[in-house]
Amino acid sequence: MTTLQLVEVTAGFGAVTVLHGIDLDVKDGEIAGVFGLNGAGKSVTMKTIAGIVPARSGQIWFDGVDITRLDAESRVEMGMGHVPQGRQVFANLTVEENLRLGAYTLRRRDKSRYPAVLDSVYDRFPVLRERRTQKAGTMSGGQQASLAVARALVNEPRLILVDEPSAGLSPKMQGDLREVLQVVKDSGVTMVLVEQNVAFGLSLVDTANLLQTGVVVHTAPVAELDEDTLATHLGIGRVLAGATGSALTARKKR
Amino acid sequence: MLQVLAIGLISAGIYALFAVGIVLVYRGTKVLTFAGGEVGTAALYVAAFLVTDHGMPWVVGALAAVLIAAAAGLAFEAGLVRWSREADPVVTSILTVALSATIFATEFNLHGNNPTTLETPVRIGSGLDVDGVIVSPIQIAAIVVAALLGFGLQSFLRRTDFGLAILAAADDAPATLLVGVRVSRIRLVLWASSFGLAAVAALLVEPTVGFITPGYASTLYLGGLAAAVIGGLDSLPGAVVGATVLGLAQAFADKYFKGLGLSGLSYVVTLTLLLVVLLVRSYAPEIRKRLAAPVEVTA
Amino acid sequence: MTAVTLPLNKSLRLQVPLLLPGLVVAIFLPVLAQQTSLLNEPHALTLTGGCVLAIAGLSLNVLLGYAGQISLGQYAFVGVGAFTTGLVTGVTDLRLPWVVGLVASAVAGGLIALLVGLPALLLRGLYLAVVTISVAFAASESLFRVDRIGGGSAGKVVPPPYFGTHALNTSVDALTIGLVVLVLLLQMDVNLVRSRLGRAFRVLKEDETVASSFGVDVARYKLTAFALAGGIAGLAGCIDGTAFGTIQGQSFDYSHALALLVVVVIGGLGSRTGIVIAAFLTTVYPPVLVAVFGDGIRGWDQTINGIVLMLTVAFQPRGFAGAFRDAAEHRRMRQGGEPPLPPTRPNLPDLGRPKGMPEPRRTKGDTAVLEARDISVRFGGLQAVDGASLRVDRGTISALMGPNGAGKTTMFNAISGALSPDTGTVRFLGEDVSSLPPHARAARGMGRTFQLIGLAKDQSVYENLLIAQHLAAPYGVLSALTTVGSRRWEREVRQRADQTLEGLGFGRFRDTPVGRLSHGQQRIVEIGSCLVTSPELVMLDEPSAGMSPAAAEDLAATLIDIRDQLGRTVLLIEHNVPLVLGTADELYVMDAGQVIANGEPLDVVQRPEVVRAYLGEVVA
Repeated sequence: MTTLQLVEVTAGFGAVTVLHGIDLDVKDGEIAGVFGLNGAGKSVTMKTIAGIVPARSGQIWFDGVDITRLDAESRVEMGMGHVPQGRQVFANLTVEENLRLGAYTLRRRDKSRYPAVLDSVYDRFPVLRERRTQKAGTMSGGQQASLAVARALVNEPRLILVDEPSAGLSPKMQGDLREVLQVVKDSGVTMVLVEQNVAFGLSLVDTANLLQTGVVVHTAPVAELDEDTLATHLGIGRVLAGATGSALTARKKR
Repeated sequence: MLQVLAIGLISAGIYALFAVGIVLVYRGTKVLTFAGGEVGTAALYVAAFLVTDHGMPWVVGALAAVLIAAAAGLAFEAGLVRWSREADPVVTSILTVALSATIFATEFNLHGNNPTTLETPVRIGSGLDVDGVIVSPIQIAAIVVAALLGFGLQSFLRRTDFGLAILAAADDAPATLLVGVRVSRIRLVLWASSFGLAAVAALLVEPTVGFITPGYASTLYLGGLAAAVIGGLDSLPGAVVGATVLGLAQAFADKYFKGLGLSGLSYVVTLTLLLVVLLVRSYAPEIRKRLAAPVEVTA
Repeated sequence: MTAVTLPLNKSLRLQVPLLLPGLVVAIFLPVLAQQTSLLNEPHALTLTGGCVLAIAGLSLNVLLGYAGQISLGQYAFVGVGAFTTGLVTGVTDLRLPWVVGLVASAVAGGLIALLVGLPALLLRGLYLAVVTISVAFAASESLFRVDRIGGGSAGKVVPPPYFGTHALNTSVDALTIGLVVLVLLLQMDVNLVRSRLGRAFRVLKEDETVASSFGVDVARYKLTAFALAGGIAGLAGCIDGTAFGTIQGQSFDYSHALALLVVVVIGGLGSRTGIVIAAFLTTVYPPVLVAVFGDGIRGWDQTINGIVLMLTVAFQPRGFAGAFRDAAEHRRMRQGGEPPLPPTRPNLPDLGRPKGMPEPRRTKGDTAVLEARDISVRFGGLQAVDGASLRVDRGTISALMGPNGAGKTTMFNAISGALSPDTGTVRFLGEDVSSLPPHARAARGMGRTFQLIGLAKDQSVYENLLIAQHLAAPYGVLSALTTVGSRRWEREVRQRADQTLEGLGFGRFRDTPVGRLSHGQQRIVEIGSCLVTSPELVMLDEPSAGMSPAAAEDLAATLIDIRDQLGRTVLLIEHNVPLVLGTADELYVMDAGQVIANGEPLDVVQRPEVVRAYLGEVVA
């Protein structure tokens, strides 16, 4: 079963076309990675799936429904959750207020479910329960990352889009973040993960989609990826790909 | 002294009512509304039309005025602001200036400069005697309503999902969209309540002045704008505090500088206070940096 | 970013020589019309009102249209000019000749506007709007009501000017004077737009950071805009007082400020022709309406103006000048379609240092062109740059790499002076420039480009090449307004721009707004505008971003040309590894605000710490 499917999607801003026909298949329960260097169109891909940047042509299917022309809010109502780039927690609101807003459409549908869902999210992120009255902006980067993920989960989404979660985090925080995303993965929610930090991304995803100048140039299960493929399709040159290769080896060993 | 305080607080109540409406829209959209004064004046004309001309009860006229003002807010957002070619807050703010000009001219064409009166349920001249200054019940109501709105609305914003969505939309509209909030609907509500509040403010001010002329609420509205700016533009309690500071400053200046024989003293006070507050505030980060105070944590 | 984003018009400019024919018309047409009974006194008075509004419109246009500084109280300065004229010429006051009053009105308007402009150095956009409205209220309700200034309830009387012993006291005389001043100001406006001052205003309006990187002293030019606009408004006031003979305080209240906004916005910000037409139309059509529809319609013109203003701001924010321009452009697009792409491999000429700029400091052989030491920058809780140092030698290409958020651009900003670091020193050609503002560093030979293209996007390619030479044509405000003493500088500047344009192969795009070009083309123009003043050090922030691989290859060749053909020094931030390996002599890698490695590029990229920083660590 396919949760999300992009067919020949093009998109851009003004006179600039960034996506030149993206094809993407995300299956139920899998974590699909979208990797590419700066300017490859990763972020625009996410925004097009979210409905913030309109698709100029092509189709986007979500749970068997054509959502190409739906607005972003309706997509959230249908069960799309977001962990936006730069985390974007509401800095002036408390942790609990952030979560309450995260469950905005859930609470409109069925307010009585909320306490139970909140509880289960708190169980998964105990640090948030401890800090529920703290303003989100005053928390550490890693805690904000947890909050951003929790805010998406609390709406009980069927698909979560995670946009560059590791950017700007120290290696230690990246480790914490990885654990957080592992929690999401274990809960069985389908996820699309966009990362520039290829090594970080590869350690989580099931399928890798390699993006170059607005086109998916290669798709493969992580197990079938090797250094050369990465180097060629990401356009980073062999020299730097060596490092990513070692990430692959490390992961295969685990 | 008490006299000055009483007079200052009466003005403060008026300014605060306007300032709250200004801050509400600013919080949600980063647009500064310049039209509230004329919207309020026009609402008074609606009330006067129903009450004075057609003998309806004040309550009916007042209610109609507030509702029509709110509807005007909806229409303004849905009909103009949303479709503007430039979605820039400054451009939208200028749009409100244009709206204000249009309403003003229309009032003038329909009524000329002759004062119109609006019969109020409360008799003028009766009320609380504060050291010789008579504070009428409606003036007290204005102060109370302003304070309630300033502090109460803040807690409404925190308590309800919708209120939280307003706060979030102001902080980060794209992220708010991504939790499924219809930000465009929030904007509609904000404009409607801002214009409605302007009508409420004008209704509460009117008995103090006693008559309506075109543009009359606009001069008071300037105080509201200044109060909102002094209060930091994005804080409702700040707006009330700003209004209090401005009202008291004007009252004190009136008492102690009256000897100068300068007309329009309150405008000079407003301008001076604005400049001082804004300049101090824009230098403040610099000063704080020099003092090497603890660094603020940003999101 | 500068606050006001109402778009600007550039077309509909008067292209014909204006001054002489304009003056002839201004002087003879009213008299002629009067002789032939086409013009009576009331008509002349109405038209003089149009002149006043047009001049006030030009004033607001300088401030809001050119320099992007919002003012909702500009009409107050018209009042200042009017009352100054009264004070200077009035029989109970100084009794000086009218001409002195005219000059004094401009000076007073300019000086007071300068005062109002001071807070504008710190305030932007809406804050400035509220302050200027307050100024307008304080002026009309307080200042103009002081008896000594405003003449009390009777108003201030302005005696007519004398031509020899002949008093010019009819409305036709006033109209003639108004038209003469208007024509002179229009010519001044033409000069202004074509001068470095006008260019500085335009870039200031679009982006203050870009402006200062081009060497524009932002604070000084903002104040200049306020003073100039205030002076022009003052002149409008003098004409107003002269025409009506008596001035009242309430003639300058808030509703007049709104009338001014109507004229400028509907006419089209930045379009002097549109504004002048709008000024006369809005003055003339109300009496015509009354003549046609009877007295009942009197006053409704204000309502109509308001509605038209709303619709204009919402749907045609460039005014009717903008509408004309859109239509013309549409036609052109339909006829010619998109112009063909230029070559991406420019052939840049070595122009040498412009006459107006100092030669770069001579230094001993081993002095670094750039040496930044222990730079630290903190934003709130984020240590963006943490004790980073780098050194760039003459005639080399150095590259700065690192993951997103490593602090590369912040480091660039600290070097160019766009922000002042918390610690550290920057030495340029051996001189400590740490405390100098960006424009002073630019003047010493530091040129830079920006991640998001540091060009004025609404301006043409040619315009940008001119703006880039701001410091190369050091003539003053008066020269800018009169063209006296500016011509030889302009000739040099334009010649260099032409040569660069040709070298870039962008001749076809001379008048195309930069924003219309592709990202890669904008990059090339930006590099060209950086090189047009022949800086010693060329700093490029992600030049290959958004370029196709082929274009990036051409860029690499261009960088090598800049080093080998022009003999310049280059420092670039770059993500494109092949580009860096193919061009750079020295590579610095930053991570988390620190320089974690530097040296020979091919060696550096293979070091484990670099690989780890760049592609991320395996989190076990």
